[in-house]
Amino acid sequence: MESIILKANNITKYFNQPEPFQVLRGISIGINKGEFVSIIGKSGSGKTTLLYILATLDTMYTGNLEINGISLTGKDVNHLAKFRNKHVGFVFQFHYLLQDFSCLKNVMIPARKLNKYPIVEIEEKAYQLLTMLDIKEQALKPAGKLSGGQQQRVAIARALINEPAIIMTDEPTGNLDSKNSEAIGDIFKHLTREFGQTVIAVTHNTDFARNSDRVLEMLDGNIFN
Amino acid sequence: MNFKINAEIAYTHVTSRMKQSIIAALGVAFGISMYVFINGLLKGSNDYFDKKALANLPEVRIFNDGNTNSLNKITNGISIQNPRQILDMIKKDSGVKAEAALVTSNIIYRNDSLQSIGTIYGVNILNEDKMFDIKSIMSKGKIEDLLKIKNSILIGSGIASKLNVNVNDKILVTSANGESIQMIVAGIFETGIKRLDRTKSYASISNVQYLLHQGSTYITEIDFNLKDLNKAPKYAEKYARLTGYSTEDWMSVNQTIGAGMAIRNDIALAMLITILIVAGFGIYNILNMTIYEKMKDIAILKATGFDKKDILQIFITEALMIGLSGGMAGIILGYIVSYCVSLIPVRLAHINNLPFDFHLMNFILGFLFGTITAFFAGYFPAKRASLVDPVQIIRS
Repeated sequence: MESIILKANNITKYFNQPEPFQVLRGISIGINKGEFVSIIGKSGSGKTTLLYILATLDTMYTGNLEINGISLTGKDVNHLAKFRNKHVGFVFQFHYLLQDFSCLKNVMIPARKLNKYPIVEIEEKAYQLLTMLDIKEQALKPAGKLSGGQQQRVAIARALINEPAIIMTDEPTGNLDSKNSEAIGDIFKHLTREFGQTVIAVTHNTDFARNSDRVLEMLDGNIFN
Repeated sequence: MNFKINAEIAYTHVTSRMKQSIIAALGVAFGISMYVFINGLLKGSNDYFDKKALANLPEVRIFNDGNTNSLNKITNGISIQNPRQILDMIKKDSGVKAEAALVTSNIIYRNDSLQSIGTIYGVNILNEDKMFDIKSIMSKGKIEDLLKIKNSILIGSGIASKLNVNVNDKILVTSANGESIQMIVAGIFETGIKRLDRTKSYASISNVQYLLHQGSTYITEIDFNLKDLNKAPKYAEKYARLTGYSTEDWMSVNQTIGAGMAIRNDIALAMLITILIVAGFGIYNILNMTIYEKMKDIAILKATGFDKKDILQIFITEALMIGLSGGMAGIILGYIVSYCVSLIPVRLAHINNLPFDFHLMNFILGFLFGTITAFFAGYFPAKRASLVDPVQIIRS
């Protein structure tokens, strides 16, 4: 029995610059809990734009978006920030860790923001995640001192700290060699299998996509396939 | 909002760019220290010169100029008819600091063939000292001797040199109606104002009353000083109404002194604003730079659930951290500079050292202004940071 965790209905978006252009043409998708979905497609097909809409970061669209049964279309940005904090984890192409902070602190930040548990508990949880991702030794180093693959693992740990409903990731392997790419793909797969985590990944990497449960291919603002 | 994590992020930003943060804080520190220094010097010298200028001037005078509309019948020339009653009224007034009754007469001072004209003030010297701090201008003798020695007199230094007399010498004092008293010089004072030092003397009220052939109730003037000298015009008007006699306040008599005070205060204010604007730009600059460099941080914080208010709070906290530490350093530096400069001897007229005002208020205001400036200098860049669109940063 599968339950729908994310439902998008007729998502349409225009770019006005440099000239009016319809980037998404009424996309409707449903994603199940525990599913590992890849979105692939050429540059300019609209896949990244779609991801940021699904992630509630981009609010300039028409259509309907629901995550965990909560409608998110037309909500105010501060409300959405709170929602993301709790329910959405992010992993970006260029790691995007706070360079001045240690890895451990980077992982802890979303939980500190959520402010639901005492700091000692958050720290323990962060250590657990870093241990699971095999970079516990780097925990106290400044984030900027780590290699690309290591930084991406820290970013994944950060995405997991608040036990979000969905992890959204934009080109998670775009900056990594094939060995590290494969490792990151395995981690996502492991998360969906062992923890029932849902993952939506935008990627160029076909090996990475092949490793996922479902591949959505985009072309000119439509999903075909 | 969660202040703790926001403050921690702000702290990490400020400390991870220690050099720039210190430079920005130094900008504030210099601004505040200059404010403390200049304000202290301006206020100190303002107070000093005002005190000098007003040293021999009562803040409010009550006198009889002859065409009074008093209900009291004028029977006795230009005297005040009911001095006890008026003095009691003034003594009970909560705004009054000190008061003195006096009787004055134009006289000639003589020492053998040497002579000089001037004005003798018949006073209770202790009351007069409360008004004008006579003790501080005594160059020889003590004011108490005026009470101890019968028929004694305190004379200005100009009179002493003209008559070639010293303390304990005798001089002859003659009034306009020919009455004379042989008086012993009990002390010599120097006000710093030549005109007064050449003419003025103090004696007991009864001596002067005798010189004028008047009885023991004869008083020509009542003076008083106020706790707040700026209220003098109000009090002059009040006592003119209450007593029916003429009154005069120091401001209307010396309008230039009042104007000078106001202008110097305006200059100080203009200087303060200039200094703080310069310091403010320092903070504004560093924060703008930080925000430019931390665009990615802002985007990532927003993506992971920090809202506009959090971002605003983080960067305003950074501005305040710089502003508060700069302000703290500034008042300490300002105090040290002021103290050192106040030790430099200048020897101008009667000034030995530059007069400084070390009032706590001066330092508190400097600190407060610095903090307010830091807040505003931080607010605008912080506002800009809070409006950053994370998608634009992450996708570029």
